[in-house]
Amino acid sequence: MSRWIAALALALLSATPGLAQDANPSPPPVLTQEDARQLMGRVVDGFIRPGYRAFAARSAELTNAMASLCTTPSTQTQASARQAFAAAVTAWGTIEIVRVGPVIEKNRFERILFYPDRKGTGLRQVQTLLAQPDESATTPDGLLEKSVAMQGLGALEFVLYGTGAEQLASERNSFRCRYGLAVAGSVQRVANELAALWDDPAGVQNDWKNPGPDSASFRTGNEAITEALGILVHSAEAVRDQRIESFYKGEANNTFPKQALFWRSGLTFPMLVANLQGIHSLLDTSGFRDLLNEDQRSIVSSIDFVLKQLVRVGSDLNGDVEVAVTDPKERQKLDFLLLNSRDLILRLNDSLGGGLGLGAGFSFSDGD
Amino acid sequence: MGEIDRRQFMRAAGIGFLAALAPQKLYALSRSEAVYASGFRAPDGTYGIATASIRGEVIDRILLPARAHGLAYCPVSGRGVAFARRPGTFAMIFDPAGRQEPVVIHTPEGRHYYGHGHFSPDGRLLYASENDFDGNRGMIGLYDATDGFRRIGEFEAQGIGTHDMTVSDDGRFLVIANGGIETHPDFGRTKLNLDHMQPSLVILDAKTGDVVQRHTLPEPLRQLSTRHLDIDGDGRIWFACQYEGPRNELPPLAGSFAPGEDLRFLSLPDETTQRLANYVGAIAINRRDRLVGLTSPKGGTAVILNADTGAVLAEETVPDAAGVCAAPEGVAVTSYDGTLAGTRSSLAWDQHLVRLA
Repeated sequence: MSRWIAALALALLSATPGLAQDANPSPPPVLTQEDARQLMGRVVDGFIRPGYRAFAARSAELTNAMASLCTTPSTQTQASARQAFAAAVTAWGTIEIVRVGPVIEKNRFERILFYPDRKGTGLRQVQTLLAQPDESATTPDGLLEKSVAMQGLGALEFVLYGTGAEQLASERNSFRCRYGLAVAGSVQRVANELAALWDDPAGVQNDWKNPGPDSASFRTGNEAITEALGILVHSAEAVRDQRIESFYKGEANNTFPKQALFWRSGLTFPMLVANLQGIHSLLDTSGFRDLLNEDQRSIVSSIDFVLKQLVRVGSDLNGDVEVAVTDPKERQKLDFLLLNSRDLILRLNDSLGGGLGLGAGFSFSDGD
Repeated sequence: MGEIDRRQFMRAAGIGFLAALAPQKLYALSRSEAVYASGFRAPDGTYGIATASIRGEVIDRILLPARAHGLAYCPVSGRGVAFARRPGTFAMIFDPAGRQEPVVIHTPEGRHYYGHGHFSPDGRLLYASENDFDGNRGMIGLYDATDGFRRIGEFEAQGIGTHDMTVSDDGRFLVIANGGIETHPDFGRTKLNLDHMQPSLVILDAKTGDVVQRHTLPEPLRQLSTRHLDIDGDGRIWFACQYEGPRNELPPLAGSFAPGEDLRFLSLPDETTQRLANYVGAIAINRRDRLVGLTSPKGGTAVILNADTGAVLAEETVPDAAGVCAAPEGVAVTSYDGTLAGTRSSLAWDQHLVRLA
C-alpha cells in the first residue's frame, strides 16, 4: 500500500503556493471567520433584507394601484398603475441579482418574472386568457395553479401595455384588469414571503451570517464569502447574457428588439440600470474592498468606476428598443454596454476573485 | 454564454490548430511521453487542452475558444476527446502523438454538451452526454469515429441534468449519471430546480438504447446530484455525488452498483464527508491497485478508498483539488493552481484529468 500513498504524496508535494503564475503584488489575504461573519452581516442586513422589503412595499403599492384602476378606471388611474408597475419592476431589478437562497425555491423567481421566454410561451398564454376569460385567473390563489409565466411581471406588463390595454381606462372591473390585479397580488405575495423568510432571525439570515457547522448554508467562512462573490459575478453575467445579448449581440449581428425584457413598457433600460445599481450597492455595502490587501483595493475602485459608466450610459439610452438597435448613436451606447459589461465580469471574476485568493478566478473554481 | 458555431470556432481556434500541428517540443519532452491530458486556463485567460508527462510536465497544448470539461481516451485509435463545458456546443478529438489533425464536432440545433463522453471499446463509436434543453431531457449522442465523427443517432438518457457517462468493458452497456438538475442555456449555468431535483443512475443497452436498469434516489437523498462515474476491474460501477441540500447535513457522497444490483452507498467517516464539503468533483479507479480516488475542489481534499472494502486509505489536503485519474501507481491529482504529479505549471488545470494509454 505504501507505493500509492507515495505516488499521491509526490503529486501533492508542490501543491502549496510558491511559484506565482501571475504577477500578483502580494499573496491573497488570509480571511478569518470573523471577516466572513462581518461581510455576510453587511450583505444580509445592508442589501438583501432591505432589497426584499423595498420590493414588497412597491408591489403592495402596485396592487393598490391596480385595485384603483379596476374600480375607478380612467387615464389617470391607468397612468398611476403604470407608474407603480415601473416602481415595482425597478425595485425587483435591484434585488433580482440575488439568484440564491429562498428565491430559487418553490419557483418564486419565475413566479415574479419568467424571462427569457424565447418562444413567447408566456405571451401566448396571457393572450389566450384575455381572449377566452377564465375567472379562476382573477385571484392569486387561482393563479397558483396556472403556468408561472402567467403569474408575474411579464404578464402584468402585457395587461398594462399590450394590445387592448386601452380598455383598462374605460371599462370598470374588466376581466383584463381583474386578472392584472390578481397578478399584482401574486407578485406581492411572493415578495412578502421573501421579505419574511429573510427577516426571520432564526431563518436563512442566521445561516448566512454565521457560517459554521450549524449553518444550513455555509460550513466555512470561505464558502460564505465565495457565495457573496458569486452573486456579483453571476448577476454581471446575467446582465450581459440575458438583458443585453438577448436582443443585441454587437455590430455584426442581427438584432431582436422584441426579445428585450419589458420592451412594451419602455422599461428595458431602467431594469438593466436597476440590475447594475443592485450590483453596485451590494459591492459597496458588503465591504469586499476591506477584505483585500491594501495594495489591491484599487480593484474595487476600478469596478466602481466601470459600474458608474454602465449606469450612466444605460440611463441615457432611448427607451424604445427598436430605436436603440437601429439609430447609430444609440447602437454606440449598446456597444459600450456590451464591451463594459464584459469588462465588469472579468474584473469581478478575475481581479476581485484573484484578490480574494481564487487564483484562476471565481468561475474557474465552481466545479461541475 | 452563447453557442459557438463552427465558423466562429475555426476563427477562434486558428492559432491553436497550428500550434497543435507544429512538431514542437516543450521542456525537451517527446509527445510519446504524454501520459495525462486535461483542460486548462492559461495565465492570459485563454483556454485549451494540454498533455503532460508522468511527472506532470506540460508536453503539448491546443488552444480552444472556450473551456473544456471532461475528456476520454481511445486506446484503439490513440485519440482523445475533450468536451466543451456546459452549455458549450463543441468537442475536439485530438491525437496526443500529433499524427492526425484535430477534429472538431458540434451538437445539432437544440442540444449542448454536458461535458462528458466515452469511446466504445472497439473505438468505432463516440458517445457524448447532451442536453435537449427545450425538452428538458438528457440525451446520449452517438458519433461514428470511422466517418469523421458524424453524428449518427442519439438515445434518451432517461433523466435530466445528465452529466458523466461511460461504457462497460464489453461495450454492451452505457452507464449514465443523471445529476437531476435542470439547466437551460438561456439561463447560463443557473440551476433551475434545486427543490425538485430528479437524480438517477441508468444503464442502457448500447445497441438499442433500451433501459436495462434505472435507479432513482430515495426521498431523503433527492438533492444528491449523481454526477461522475468510473468502472472498476470487476465491472462494478462507482459513482460520486454533489449535495445541493442543507450544508449542515452529511449525505453519502459516493457509492457503487453492478448490473442487477441496487445502489450501495459508501459510509464514509463524518470527518471525511466534511472534508469533501458535500461535493465530489471527480472520481477515478485505479484497477491495478483496486483504489478509488475522489477529489473535492470545494473542500480542498483528495481521498483514496479501498475499492474492495470502501475504507478510507488516505486523505490529503489539496487546495483547489481538480481532476483525478489512475496513475501507474496510485492516483494522480491536479489542482486549479497548476499542480500535477509534483510539478507546478503556469496552467490552471480544469476539473478533469484523463490517462492516455
